[in-house]
Amino acid sequence: MNPRHSRLVICMALALLCGVSAVAAPPIELVVWHSYRGGEAAAFEKVVAAYNAAKAGTGVKVTTLPVPYDAFADKITAAVPRGKGPDMFIFAQDRLGGWVEAGKTIEPIDFYVDQATKDRFLTTTVQAMTYHGTIYALPFNYKVITMVYNKKLVTKPPKTTGELVQLAKSLTDAGTGRFGVAYWYSNFYYHAILMNTFGGGAFDASGKPILNCDGNIKSLELLTKWVDKDKFLPAEPSTALVTALFNDGKAAIVFSGPWFLGEIAKGIDVGLAPLPTVDEAGGKPMQPWMTVEGVFIAAGSKNKDAAYDFVKFVTDTPSAKIMAVEGRQTPANKAVYLDPQVVNDPTLRVFRQQVEVAVPMPNLAEMSMMWTPASSAMAAIVQKSATVKDALDHAQKEVVEAVGLLRKRQ
Amino acid sequence: MSRSQRSGEFPHFPLHLILLVYVVVTLYPLLWVFTIGFSGQQNLMIVDIPANATFLDRLRAIVPWPAHLSVANFTSVFTDQPFARWLLNSVVIALATTVLGVFLACTSAYAFSRFRFPGRRVGLMSFLVSQMFPGTLMMIPLYIIIVQVLGLGSTYLGLILVYSITAIPFCVWMLKGYFDTIPRELEESALMDGASAAVIFYRIVLPLAKPAVAVTALFSFMTAWNEYIQAATFMDKINMYTAPVGLKFFVGGFQQQWGYFAAGAIVTAIPIVALFLFLQKYLISGLTAGAVKG
Amino acid sequence: MSKEPSHSRRFAAGVVAALVVGVGLSEWVLVRARTQENRSRAERVAVVALSAVTEVAERAGGAGDSLRRAVATIAGQNPGLKAIRVLVLDGLSLEASTASEDRGEKAAPRRLTRDEKPIYDQAQRLRAAVETNRQEGAARKPEIEVAGSAGGGLSLAAPLEKDGSVVGMVALETTAVPTAPRTDWLFPVVVVAGAGAAFWLLAVVMGERRALLALFACLLLMAAMVVMGRHAFTAVSGDRRATESAVAAAVGADEVSAAKALPELAPGEGAKPVHPANWDADVFRRPLGVIGADGKVDEAKFEQGLATGSSKTARVVGTFTVVAIAVLLFVGFGAASRLGATISKHHQAYTYTFPAIFGMVLLVFLPFLYGVALSFTGKSLYTSQVPLSEIWVGVKNFVDILGDFHIAKSTVTGLVWNYQNIYWTLGVTIVWTVTNVAYGVGMGLFLALILNTKGLLLRPIYRVIFVLPWAMPNYITALIWKGMFHQQFGVINQIIQMFGGTPVSWFEKPSTSLFACIATNAWLSVPFMMVICLGALQSISADLYEAARVDGATRWQQFRSITLPSLKPALIPAVILSVIWTFNMFNIIYIVSGGDPDHSTEIMITQAYKFAFEQYRYGYAAAYSMVIFAILLAYGIWQNKVTKATEGI
Repeated sequence: MNPRHSRLVICMALALLCGVSAVAAPPIELVVWHSYRGGEAAAFEKVVAAYNAAKAGTGVKVTTLPVPYDAFADKITAAVPRGKGPDMFIFAQDRLGGWVEAGKTIEPIDFYVDQATKDRFLTTTVQAMTYHGTIYALPFNYKVITMVYNKKLVTKPPKTTGELVQLAKSLTDAGTGRFGVAYWYSNFYYHAILMNTFGGGAFDASGKPILNCDGNIKSLELLTKWVDKDKFLPAEPSTALVTALFNDGKAAIVFSGPWFLGEIAKGIDVGLAPLPTVDEAGGKPMQPWMTVEGVFIAAGSKNKDAAYDFVKFVTDTPSAKIMAVEGRQTPANKAVYLDPQVVNDPTLRVFRQQVEVAVPMPNLAEMSMMWTPASSAMAAIVQKSATVKDALDHAQKEVVEAVGLLRKRQ
Repeated sequence: MSRSQRSGEFPHFPLHLILLVYVVVTLYPLLWVFTIGFSGQQNLMIVDIPANATFLDRLRAIVPWPAHLSVANFTSVFTDQPFARWLLNSVVIALATTVLGVFLACTSAYAFSRFRFPGRRVGLMSFLVSQMFPGTLMMIPLYIIIVQVLGLGSTYLGLILVYSITAIPFCVWMLKGYFDTIPRELEESALMDGASAAVIFYRIVLPLAKPAVAVTALFSFMTAWNEYIQAATFMDKINMYTAPVGLKFFVGGFQQQWGYFAAGAIVTAIPIVALFLFLQKYLISGLTAGAVKG
Repeated sequence: MSKEPSHSRRFAAGVVAALVVGVGLSEWVLVRARTQENRSRAERVAVVALSAVTEVAERAGGAGDSLRRAVATIAGQNPGLKAIRVLVLDGLSLEASTASEDRGEKAAPRRLTRDEKPIYDQAQRLRAAVETNRQEGAARKPEIEVAGSAGGGLSLAAPLEKDGSVVGMVALETTAVPTAPRTDWLFPVVVVAGAGAAFWLLAVVMGERRALLALFACLLLMAAMVVMGRHAFTAVSGDRRATESAVAAAVGADEVSAAKALPELAPGEGAKPVHPANWDADVFRRPLGVIGADGKVDEAKFEQGLATGSSKTARVVGTFTVVAIAVLLFVGFGAASRLGATISKHHQAYTYTFPAIFGMVLLVFLPFLYGVALSFTGKSLYTSQVPLSEIWVGVKNFVDILGDFHIAKSTVTGLVWNYQNIYWTLGVTIVWTVTNVAYGVGMGLFLALILNTKGLLLRPIYRVIFVLPWAMPNYITALIWKGMFHQQFGVINQIIQMFGGTPVSWFEKPSTSLFACIATNAWLSVPFMMVICLGALQSISADLYEAARVDGATRWQQFRSITLPSLKPALIPAVILSVIWTFNMFNIIYIVSGGDPDHSTEIMITQAYKFAFEQYRYGYAAAYSMVIFAILLAYGIWQNKVTKATEGI
């Protein structure tokens, strides 16, 4: 065993003795929910097994339960406030604000988190786990959009949008359905790569919606130019279409995240590179949104101290290495990227480079009411049924109204 | 008897033609599901067309057929997760739902059809009314009742109860409608002979209502078979999940592994087809002239 | 019935039952109101003390020895306080504490221990609340937290501010709350007995005249309820008065103790007077203003509060009176005894139907009742933990939904529809439902008729094939259909191009987008209807056709006069139910068009879903669902009337 771990075990045991001195350490069964499958799940099981091995003899045992992603949030919302459900769970930050506002769902962990623990992670990933100044989870991994390309079609990945447009146009042949670039550009999340670069976004620092701000308008004008004038993007994009095009060798470059890598067909020679810089935005790099999965402690857990110990363990460097190398995740832990096995991995290296310029996606509850109006506006813009400004104004009005109605105390 | 009727029937050739056209309409999207399932890849289909496509090029492009046949998706579905176990859970739950649902529906439908009692119309209407509640906000109260109050979380029974109650309204209405078409004279004569209500029901009414029972059984089974959100919410043990829950693992969140999903979908469709094959003979076992006249 | 039971006896029983119900309910509410008043009195007194301590602590700079001395002084002055704690977030420091357990080694100042996490979290919560309220310019999150403590007292906390931002928290624990004044049980008993006796006397005088008996019983009941109401109001307003005096006294006393603590502070801070007028505040730290600057109760404001209290009492007692009269008439006119007789007479039918009905009540109607209650509230994500009664808004949600007539506006380019409006959505939903069901029934029946042809080859195979769309999970088939409608790579456009047409961009226009959804669902709905029709066709005896043929009926005549009428009993329920199901079919629209373009192809259920799970307005979404329910109920009743589906043979 790693000496650091055994020290941890002793500390833990001492803490337990002090805390519950009257009782002789009753067995503690902790349950963690996640939504992993396949290799990710196997890697996570391995981490949990390592933890259980380290805890052997202390009575602490962690078990896992995979829950399908689509049912995950509803299951948490139904179970945890009623004292059922897990001790810990792994989920992205997009529900964080909602869970805090709803109450009785997630446990603030500010109290436990010391500076050394905070310094373990990429700063932005900790930001994603912070709501109104309070930390609610330790970041586990992040997902960012980056540039994925077919090496057979692209020898040198473009570094700027100028190069990108030029290359993409040369690779496009709409008649046979071949495209230089394919990504779900009509989706708000994917469009963030341009939007953030121009200083736009969803909310300002004080939580006010800013859909029709200047940056957003400029970013959409650039997108319209790509669609209407340069014409290197397919019509009516969706994840299904993008995957299919790429797998059939009909899309040379795709902007997508780590999830996409699992959908690529065997036989495609895949290369990854950071997103290009945007000439139109003064050469600033494209800034994708970052989704961060955190390990949360459920408010209903009866063993929060023990749960936090586990949370700390799984976000520590040795666990992060297993999750990176075997689970193909991109951990939020910084130190793991110093490991030779990780640093020499071309995929992980590119994501690590990409995350430097990424912006955490807002974790406000109000974010959920942003998607539909924003996507509608973008669809209208792409289909040219409204001007950029009008469409965004319309969406902004809709969001402001919805936010106002939610916040109004009846 | 069928021979004697044939003279009055439609000529069969045009009928086959119509059926064939509809067979194509029915099968076409399903063939894509098969194509995806057997492609060994994870993408949904797109049609692949060359430049300046001719009529034939396009025709070739729209015929669903995988470029390479592979069963990799199927093997992955079963090896990545305890999918076989989940299928078994689904079978147990769906069969139990069918038995319980059809039993409860038969008894109450029989009462609604044969007895005249105050509250009959209200009762019958209330079954209908229950279908009108949009289910979006029912999840939390249902969770409270099933898991907190009854303590039936992570049990077969919890789901079986929920599913049978979901299926019952349709079953009651369907069976009641069918029972209404069975002439009462049969039962009345049996009653004269001193048979009890239960005996009349099992010996006379039920055998005659086989087609309707087959329909309701199929419906109950399907209700239980395809549901996933309640199964995912009420079950807290990996060994208790059902097949639809397992399917959902492939396409949640960002990841969309359609190849696995299609393969899993094909596998889960097989028991339904098998059940239908089994029920077919009851579905078309109609009243014969002799039975009615008694 | 052979012998009519006596009217006077029935009404006497009715009066007693109604009195017990009406007076009992009123008494129960009164007891609760007094308990609540007692509690809120204690809370307000405690909040005054908390505000006083907080003001002193903030002046002390939120840290240091002077703070500890000042806090100790105040604690010594106020016997109602069990403990005062001052916490500073930075460094997790307990700055001051007068709690008995914080002595010796655990004396403040010190770092918080691990088991004190809840206090720290509370301080963080208050800080976030203050920041959120400032950011939103609203009073949304409570800035003072009040809860019961272990010893039967109260435990309160308020944010501690320094230079305009929250740096910590002041927490108080009070001694046990005095118990509520005992409510007199004799009074309601006397009312019930008196009214009962009065009715008995009247009944003796009047004999068996039913109408008169009913009238007098009602009048007596109302009189009793009025007496109860007045009694309750007197008790409650006495309590109110006591509260205001208690709070005024507390403000005075705390002003004195705060003044005693001021000399402990830095000279500059200690010299300035305190602001007791702000101490009597609500949970958002907004002064209530009932206690004036002079420390006296503001009579005008107090009376105003009483007046709203009085009308509330009248409303509550009025409601109970209605309930009581209902009980009276139910028993008095003999409905109760008839109900009993009915149940025993038809016990067999009830036994047969009971299990199914019971299950429905438990798993469908109970959750539904919750939905009904929710629809009258402003429940949202932000009020998840608030009891429904506190966010009751009456019919406001319904007025908002149904009263929105911005269906379209005319612009220079013509009429522009407001796709979010409920009436547009309703229109879309009706088109969606009617088309789907019509196609499903038409095609299903057509195929079933063909497959019912005697001697047709390969029938079992056709049947299985036609059932397949039902067997496959529709999540994937719906996506396949969506893919088939893709502008460039979709099969449909390829076929159009094969025959020389121009490709259509299906999801750009509401009409074509809805068409794509309907095509998908129509394909999915045929198998179900076909199976129903196949089953139903079996109930038609071949003899009927034989007889018709003998009479020389054409095939169409046979279909009209034999097939259709015979299918009716099985088909009508299926049609009604599939109308209902299609109306509420969430999946297909969600997957295929997702409401595109611009929500124009949303149906009502997808809108309700949006309100609940995207905008987190649960009350509004529940009201929207109730509107859906009402529409379907109206349809169900109408359809039932037309087709007599609940009737027998």
